[in-house]
Amino acid sequence: MQSLIEKAFLIPFQRLADQFSAILPGLVTVLVVLVVGGAVAFLARRITEKLLQLLRFDRMMMETELGSMVARSGMFRAPSDFAARLLQGVLWVLIILIALEAAATEMTHNLVVRFVNYVPDLITALLVLLLGSLVAKFLARSALLAAVNAQWWGARLVAGAVRVLVLSLTVVVALEQLRIGRTALLVAFAILFAGVVIALAIAFGLAGREMAREWLGARTRPGDKREEEEVFRHL
Amino acid sequence: MEAFLPAELESRLKEVGEADIIAGIPSYNNARTIGHVVRAVAAGLAKYFPERRSILVNSDGASKDGTPEVVLKAEVDTDSLFLVAHPVRPVQRLSTPYHGIPGKGSAFRTIFEVARRLNAKACLVVDSDLRSITPQWVDLLVRPVLERNIDFVAPYYLRHKYDGTITNGIIYPLTRALFGKSVRQPIGGDFGFSGRLAAHYLTKDVWETDVARFGIDIWMTVTAMGDGFHIGQSYLGAKLHDAKDPGADLTAMFRQVVGSLFSLMGSYQAVWKEPKAPEAVPMFGFPFDVGVEPITVDVNRMIRAYALGVRDLDEVYRAFLSPETRESLSAWAKVEGETFRIPDVLWVHLIYEYAAAHHQKKMDRDHLMQSLVPLYLGRTASFVLEVRESNALQVEERIEQLCRVFVEEKPYLLAHWSGAPPEKAEKAEKVEKEESRAIAD
Repeated sequence: MQSLIEKAFLIPFQRLADQFSAILPGLVTVLVVLVVGGAVAFLARRITEKLLQLLRFDRMMMETELGSMVARSGMFRAPSDFAARLLQGVLWVLIILIALEAAATEMTHNLVVRFVNYVPDLITALLVLLLGSLVAKFLARSALLAAVNAQWWGARLVAGAVRVLVLSLTVVVALEQLRIGRTALLVAFAILFAGVVIALAIAFGLAGREMAREWLGARTRPGDKREEEEVFRHL
Repeated sequence: MEAFLPAELESRLKEVGEADIIAGIPSYNNARTIGHVVRAVAAGLAKYFPERRSILVNSDGASKDGTPEVVLKAEVDTDSLFLVAHPVRPVQRLSTPYHGIPGKGSAFRTIFEVARRLNAKACLVVDSDLRSITPQWVDLLVRPVLERNIDFVAPYYLRHKYDGTITNGIIYPLTRALFGKSVRQPIGGDFGFSGRLAAHYLTKDVWETDVARFGIDIWMTVTAMGDGFHIGQSYLGAKLHDAKDPGADLTAMFRQVVGSLFSLMGSYQAVWKEPKAPEAVPMFGFPFDVGVEPITVDVNRMIRAYALGVRDLDEVYRAFLSPETRESLSAWAKVEGETFRIPDVLWVHLIYEYAAAHHQKKMDRDHLMQSLVPLYLGRTASFVLEVRESNALQVEERIEQLCRVFVEEKPYLLAHWSGAPPEKAEKAEKVEKEESRAIAD
């Protein structure tokens, strides 16, 4: 009977106590890292924000596109608030990594290793997104200006299409870099892109047949452009 | 200095040694018209400067229609020219391909270098598609340099009232407001200049920019004005030229001509920021009335282009135009027909804000120039509607009135040139207040 009680209750509880006492120091360390780290991150945010305000960072940023984006988002008080919170976020990621490593278990160690290995891909994907959004904006504006100067009524539509196309391509490349839904994503993009192109071709060929003929005719007939230049000289 | 002359031309220049006058004709596929220009220039040199040693240089941009051959074969009717009792020196002709970015500017660079090597006293350059050039043009462009100590002679033409709207609406009033000198055709294309100025042009490092394409005319004029050379202008009569103008679309014109002027404003800001009293520019030649070709303009098409631009480019304009200017532009975009106008003050503010945005690189400069095209078309339509019933004299008075507004509003340019536009300034002020409050807390 005593053996049964020992087997059913005492030994498991003893084992639990042993396991708990084994992980307790690690848990305490994790909690200390999180609390102290959180406080450091909070202080770093406040100090950074004040420092940036003293350096007139917000005024400088208001002149840039990034500053306008931050203001438009409505999520942050000012660019200095955004920068300080960004720093706090990065610090939190580091604190969590340190805490996981401090837990000193195989699982947390593997998590940290996998995350650290993933960081270069994450940075590359962010850079791709940043560059892609800049290129999308530039190309969309080029298309808009060219279309307006060619006096097309659908200029904004053309610019919007260019922007969406470049941004879609950018997102696909970024997700590909992050190894998220590789094949499914590529197939989905290819289907979507091909679908849009075919739809536009059909729309232009059927609905805009006359317009297409006029447009092509005006560009292939010699003398049309010259006639316009002959009657009006700007320089 | 970097060597860029073709080897064959180098050896020809060594043979020639020295020359008094260099006549330069840039060309590209002008076989149809260049013969007339070469004959007129050669005749002018022989008739008006028989005692001087003259060289005629054709700087060709790899024409495919045999332009250089036409230059070398062009014959001058010497019998009627050599009646004057002077020793006559023959005019030597050189036709050479130029090196560098394709364009008139690169062609001119070769001509400047030839002038420097031959130690020329005076130079003239004329377009190769001119139909109205006469031998007298050579006298009018060169004599002020040789005998009146003038370094730069700009042309003064009689033009149709609708002709040259970029000159009349932007280039002339702006250069005049900036430098105080009334050069009526700063981008005329036919100039006379001293050897000293040609050598000065070669010291500038602009040959990889739009100046090397078609911004050369405004660059020559502004450099001469900005660097304190003596300026004059000669009355040449009417300017008629070949209608063919390959690749000269409006967007490219704006980038190369207006963009070059805006860039030059950055280079010469120390000069134009100082207050300038209007300075008379001596005029040479005898003004006479000539008939000019009639021009037809589709005003409604230009007004439509303006309205479309204002509607679709609002986001672009928001990046650098003040709210007041944008509001005025939008208000006029709702007006159609005969009552459509772009008032002088609005136009001047617009140009000044564009110049400031170009200087501060508020946007890609190509995009900036492209976005000005619809607004320019609107202003042109407004001008055509306004002067439809006016004669040449009244139109000239109207342009003078615009020049006065450019001068009066110069403080507006100065306010925008280095500072933030009002909207951004307001935002920045608000942010600054918040910052101060946060620091105080």
